[in-house]
Amino acid sequence: MVNPGKRMHKLQALLAIRHGPGSAILPPEITRIHMDFAMKWNDGHLGARKFWKNCLRNLKYWNPAIPMIVNRTTDQSSPAKMSIYFRQAALDSNTPSALATKLSQLPLAQQPHSSTSNEHPAPEPEEGERVVTIDMKNVHSDDILNEFMSKTGATLVEPTPDEKVEMRQLEELNEKAAVDRAIMKKYIDDKKREERMLALARQEADAIKMAND
Amino acid sequence: MASTSQCIASLARLSLSTSIRPTNATIPRFLAPSIVQTRWKSAGTMAMRAREREKEKMKRAKKQSRFKEYKYATPSQEERHSLCDAMRYLRAAEVGRPPSSVTYELALKIRTPKSSPVLRNRIRLPYPVKNDTQIAVICKEGSGAMHDARAGGAVAFGEDSLFEIIRANPNKLPFNRLICHVDSEPALKKANLGRILGPKGLMPSIKTNTITRSVKTLMHEMVGAENYRERVGAIRMPIGNIQFTPNQLAANVKALVTMVKENIANMEDRVKKDLVEVVLTSTNGPGFSLNGFFNSTDEKVQPAHLSTAM
Repeated sequence: MVNPGKRMHKLQALLAIRHGPGSAILPPEITRIHMDFAMKWNDGHLGARKFWKNCLRNLKYWNPAIPMIVNRTTDQSSPAKMSIYFRQAALDSNTPSALATKLSQLPLAQQPHSSTSNEHPAPEPEEGERVVTIDMKNVHSDDILNEFMSKTGATLVEPTPDEKVEMRQLEELNEKAAVDRAIMKKYIDDKKREERMLALARQEADAIKMAND
Repeated sequence: MASTSQCIASLARLSLSTSIRPTNATIPRFLAPSIVQTRWKSAGTMAMRAREREKEKMKRAKKQSRFKEYKYATPSQEERHSLCDAMRYLRAAEVGRPPSSVTYELALKIRTPKSSPVLRNRIRLPYPVKNDTQIAVICKEGSGAMHDARAGGAVAFGEDSLFEIIRANPNKLPFNRLICHVDSEPALKKANLGRILGPKGLMPSIKTNTITRSVKTLMHEMVGAENYRERVGAIRMPIGNIQFTPNQLAANVKALVTMVKENIANMEDRVKKDLVEVVLTSTNGPGFSLNGFFNSTDEKVQPAHLSTAM
């Protein structure tokens, strides 16, 4: 994108990755997060899907070292489940867990990764790990987030005053855009209607001419 | 200047049309002859006309010169990000997507005249993004080159036999790279395959560096190598798997950028190009203009944090 003004607005949208539902720092005990649900949203998988789309990226931004794997299946009747893996002893939060480091040493093809064909179902906990699961089937994404927050004990990240100002500006910009869009839509609609009328009139004229010939 | 005949004519018209269209003017028209007077712009002297023409020409030239280059913009320092910052955002944006469908991509924005030769070359990245190169070699049957091709793992080789394969099934070729030995070039020209191979970009030519003396070295160079080419003032290319660590990605980015800079330097005597901007993006993520630094601005986030499995 070349237009510098447009580019600035796009970059401001990075705020959406930084702040939003799920922007929280997880405690150091958590080693990895695993989500299992179906490809489509019917049969109660909508909440899980929305959680992934709206909350998980904020969570990933604030916890870049924690593997978050989304394993989806084509089977809509499968359960929708989130597994959160805790290690027993809390370590220093500034280093990624030994397990995550070990996983990242593997060749790329063997690393656990997100999948759309049920390649990596939730693994068994390693030694010294315990699993907390959240049932996400037929649950709203907000409720999933609430449950997730209470079960993990994550601390929310508040936007700084500068970011708040930026957010407000962005909101104002969006409002202005909506107004401008409405004006533009009216203009285009009017133009289209006129064109349609003209075409109709021309058609009629042609028909009359044909009848006279 | 109104002549008397015009005045009389207007008077006559006035007397005829008063009943139909009364005039608003209180003064009769013949008393104000300037109303009927029309003005013409004089053609001017020869010098004036010449000057006019000159002006017009200048205007047109200005309009044309404005679009001689592709548009570009140089982002300010605040808009640029370090590699780890960009990766942090991109990994967040791509969370939960299967790595087979997601790559890091690099766009190199180049300031270049529109009517200039484009940059194109082949690069062997330190960490290849994907490896599905299948090479076919056009060489004389039974020659040393053919032996090299077989040893190098070419999927098809030969001269007439290969042409036959291409002619028989032009829409489903078993290879995606085609190279040619110098000795077989006349045979290739004679085979008249340009119509089939040209649109696929497979036709061997010296320009694309696919006609060679040494099949062996070229094949070695090509396996895991990617072609790139400048389009509309930018080179765009997949640069890494989403699972790459910052160090791996940095090595790839560095390799590509140095290669392109070298290309630009080689072209310097013919055309002037500049590398304006390096943008890192991913399949579904936003684009980040890179500032050339590696470490994150947030000192809590180390490269090790960005190396974990997604």
